[in-house]
Amino acid sequence: MDEKKAALVQELETEAAELMRQIRAETDIQKKKKLIVKRDSVQRKLTAVRNNRRISRETKRDLVAYSFIAPNFIGFAVFTLVPIVFAFVLAFMNWDGSNAISFVGLENFKRMPQDTFFLAAFKNTILYVLGTVPLTMIVSLALAIVLNQKIRARGFFRTVAFFPYVASLAAITAVWSMIFHPSKGPVNYILYSLFKVPQDQLPKWFSGGLVLFTLVLFSVWKYMGYYMVIYLAGLQGISAELYEAGSLDGANTWQKFRYITWPQLRSTTFFVVVMLTINCFKVYDIAVMLAGGGDGKLSTSATVLVYYIYQNAFNYWDLGYSSAIAMVLFILVLIVTLIQFRYEKKLEA
Amino acid sequence: MKKKLISVMLSTAMIATVLAGCGGSDAAQAPAAEEAAAGEEITLKWAIWDKDITPYWQAIKDGYEASHPGVTVEMTDLGATDYMTVLATELSGSGSDFDVVTIKDVPGYATLVSKNTLEPLDSYIADAGIDLSVYGGVDKQVTVNGSLYELPFRNDFWVVFYNKDIFDAAGVDYPTNDMTFEQYDELARKVADTTFGSQIYGTHYHTWRSAVQLFGVLDGKHTVMDGNYDFFKPYYEMVLKQEDDSICRNYADLSAEGLHYSAAFSGGDVAMLNMGSWYISTLIASLASGEYDSSLCGNWGIVKYPHAQGVEPGSTLGTITGLSVTSVSDQKDAAFDFVEWVSGPEGAAVMASTGNFPALMNDEISDIIAGLEGFPTDDASKEALSVSNLYLEVPYAEKVSEVNDILDTYHKSIMNREVSIDDGIASMNAEVEKVLAQ
Amino acid sequence: MSSAKADTPNQKFRSKRRNQIIGKIVIYAILLVITICMILPFLWMLSASIKSNREVFVMDPFVWIPKQPKWDNYIKIWTKIPLLKFVQNTVILTIVVTFLQLLTSSFAAYSFAKLEFKHKNALFLAYIATIAMPWQVYMVPQFIMMRSMGLNDKLLAMICLQAFSAFGVFLMKQFYEGIPNDLCEAARIDGMSEYRIYAKIMLPLSKPALSTLTIFTFVNTWNDYLGPLIYLRTETKKTIQLGLKMFIGQYSAEYGLIMAGSVVSLIPVIIVFLCLQKYFVEGVASTGLKG
Repeated sequence: MDEKKAALVQELETEAAELMRQIRAETDIQKKKKLIVKRDSVQRKLTAVRNNRRISRETKRDLVAYSFIAPNFIGFAVFTLVPIVFAFVLAFMNWDGSNAISFVGLENFKRMPQDTFFLAAFKNTILYVLGTVPLTMIVSLALAIVLNQKIRARGFFRTVAFFPYVASLAAITAVWSMIFHPSKGPVNYILYSLFKVPQDQLPKWFSGGLVLFTLVLFSVWKYMGYYMVIYLAGLQGISAELYEAGSLDGANTWQKFRYITWPQLRSTTFFVVVMLTINCFKVYDIAVMLAGGGDGKLSTSATVLVYYIYQNAFNYWDLGYSSAIAMVLFILVLIVTLIQFRYEKKLEA
Repeated sequence: MKKKLISVMLSTAMIATVLAGCGGSDAAQAPAAEEAAAGEEITLKWAIWDKDITPYWQAIKDGYEASHPGVTVEMTDLGATDYMTVLATELSGSGSDFDVVTIKDVPGYATLVSKNTLEPLDSYIADAGIDLSVYGGVDKQVTVNGSLYELPFRNDFWVVFYNKDIFDAAGVDYPTNDMTFEQYDELARKVADTTFGSQIYGTHYHTWRSAVQLFGVLDGKHTVMDGNYDFFKPYYEMVLKQEDDSICRNYADLSAEGLHYSAAFSGGDVAMLNMGSWYISTLIASLASGEYDSSLCGNWGIVKYPHAQGVEPGSTLGTITGLSVTSVSDQKDAAFDFVEWVSGPEGAAVMASTGNFPALMNDEISDIIAGLEGFPTDDASKEALSVSNLYLEVPYAEKVSEVNDILDTYHKSIMNREVSIDDGIASMNAEVEKVLAQ
Repeated sequence: MSSAKADTPNQKFRSKRRNQIIGKIVIYAILLVITICMILPFLWMLSASIKSNREVFVMDPFVWIPKQPKWDNYIKIWTKIPLLKFVQNTVILTIVVTFLQLLTSSFAAYSFAKLEFKHKNALFLAYIATIAMPWQVYMVPQFIMMRSMGLNDKLLAMICLQAFSAFGVFLMKQFYEGIPNDLCEAARIDGMSEYRIYAKIMLPLSKPALSTLTIFTFVNTWNDYLGPLIYLRTETKKTIQLGLKMFIGQYSAEYGLIMAGSVVSLIPVIIVFLCLQKYFVEGVASTGLKG
């Protein structure tokens, strides 16, 4: 035992000395730093061996940290990371989930430009994102500013604005399809009786060109409360002194917003827009429940990417193609997020 | 480190793929012969849907178990919504232990066949000496490359349901078993009442494409796998014209509320409804239990589907429900015996006694159904049960799921008036051509 | 005379006051309109849930509470579909997922925020990268993998799927970073182990963040549709969202019943939300979610 220990000490000492020599000789500051870190670690190991500890303090520290992470990370790695890698691979394969899997290269991607339904889904998804993201952002910001004032029953208003977010989709879409029912719903009834819109020109909210508009309207309604809370949190982080200084300089409400609130909220807005974009690209259940009719199938006017992914995977069992479309979805999200990061960086600089 | 991690994950993923891909088919096959030959206790696992509200599953199970001691049939309810999707999911890869599965529709059947999850039944059929001609040719419409993978045990065909009270009140003659589409349209217009508030609809089309498009296949010259759908046009014109004149409910409304056809007919404001014969047993049962108000729809009858000028009456659309043996089953002989029994005369009798139509139809079976308590007593209704030509709503073809969805999608667009009839049909033609060319 | 003195402080003060009052009125008017938009569908839902099918769409005259409220809609729904079973499944699922999520992500977040260890950045990057990845991108491979593990059609699959989200770790880490390091250092000098520091110091401090995460997780799990649609196929395993959708499909014209079912499905989430909402804005603010 003692011999072994002596040998190990000897070995580590040599290594440390060698590293020390390299450090002295190294001129590149970056490489030098790395070597110093390495030597420190050897030195620590050495102390550990000399003091008869089996594992170094450093290793112990790492193990404790990993034990904290492990429960979540194992689940996360198995159920999220592995499937993501798998999805990338699958996009270049042809597979129906039962028969042999085969590599097809870019074949799945080449099919897309000719696929009417893919193109429709692509177009609708983009339009939906373009409509929902700015609208939700503006409305939730406005609401947050209003609800950040000292007003009566503030708590009540905040709670109410958050209600649609917590409400379950199946329930709330059922209500919407009744309220916007093309011939019996109260909305069209008001248009008919108050605004004298002729019966045959009443809008059909869930079909044709209007359906995307209805989807956007619904999404803004449902999710503005959520983003309002995030903005509220952002607003509370702005120090009151800034506004006082603004008042002393004679700034009016708009000027205060333009030169204090908006710049101060920049990082909040960034977060809101990124989350909104990601969430909007994922749209599926809203479309199916509002525009799917009895059978949950979407026509070309309402189809979205995720619907088409689902359809290809679970109805046609064309898993490769389905994954390839998922990749397109991912790349879209990635591009938009990167653009936003760039913009954010530019503003910061 | 990073590279290593990625390669580890990649290989894990690939292993999972391979396992899922081929684990199922070989693993379970070895002990097949032994178990069936032992002749001891056999448990057959059978996939079905809606156990509680469908009367015949239990009746079939009881009937088979009574005549086959030692066999237990174990039913698993996968639910009616998305049944075929669920089944395809269950059967792909490893892990499934079904012996017999019920086939609900042809697109789903096509998927299962192409995934090699069903056993070809030809050799079993030959061994058992089954005469397929009793199925009136529907078996040919689900034959895949010369092989049959299912035997039909239930066969529904479309008829026109009508509400006699509405016709009586309007003083209009009942529909008959021999109507051309022109006569049908005229009748619907005569019986309809478009007064706001007390509206009576002459007819009702459910949102399925079958309810409108498939009037076109009844002349036997076209099928939905044709690739050219110009023959849909007159029927779309007829239905959309009826919508414009408030003769029937409008599609956009139906679709927005997802109105079920049974809710429409039992509400007492629909004079005629074209629907499958499965609705007969529902109507009888729901009226008996009081779920439907008998003052609204209690006095009903059925007649044969309308027909195009110059075509023999009695041609109609059909939907079959079949049974298949899974390729992973380890007791295929026992499973096929069950399939044979259910689709044979014994099974047919059980089906008829519950008010449902077996695939094996003959006069005796019609008599059983027409004699059921609650079935309309007039002669025309009984006569309506005899079918001369049966065309499957969707016959088997490769890519049938894709074609089916294309037709569904443009049906929606046309009925929602997003596109004109001509444009919609042109899109159908173009898209289906693309799919078939693949 | 008075015009000459228009600029006296008193006048200025008065016009400012007037502006303030007008401002208030405008704000309240906006709030009123928004509140009506927000709450009207819920009131309609409540009203329709005690109406008969015929009464639901009667607009002229429109009444909120019918003369003979059909309270039995609320009894009928439990017998028409196995609603109890659906509620049970959803409750189990939601509670287990929320519990696991809170536990494991606060655990992991503590490590990321307060401990130094090898590969810390690489591991955290793996989490961050997946936040931007829509679940739908990998749902199919994930499903195939789950199925090969024999988890298809099991509630356990949904638990595995939802309990280990990157979002939870991210949110909790942001919060822990706001807690001064001195607190932990002091405890370490006192000889407390990291586990005890987590349990005795950090956890009690993280109430707002935990409430926020609870609301997010609870709402997401309770309301998830596509996940259960893919994984839970057998009727007895379905969740309330699937059940409700199925019910709407089967009893499409029974508006009263559909609305009663909807109301029932909302109650648990609303209770959870109301219980935790006082921590909510605070929680979001302190977790740095604002950016």
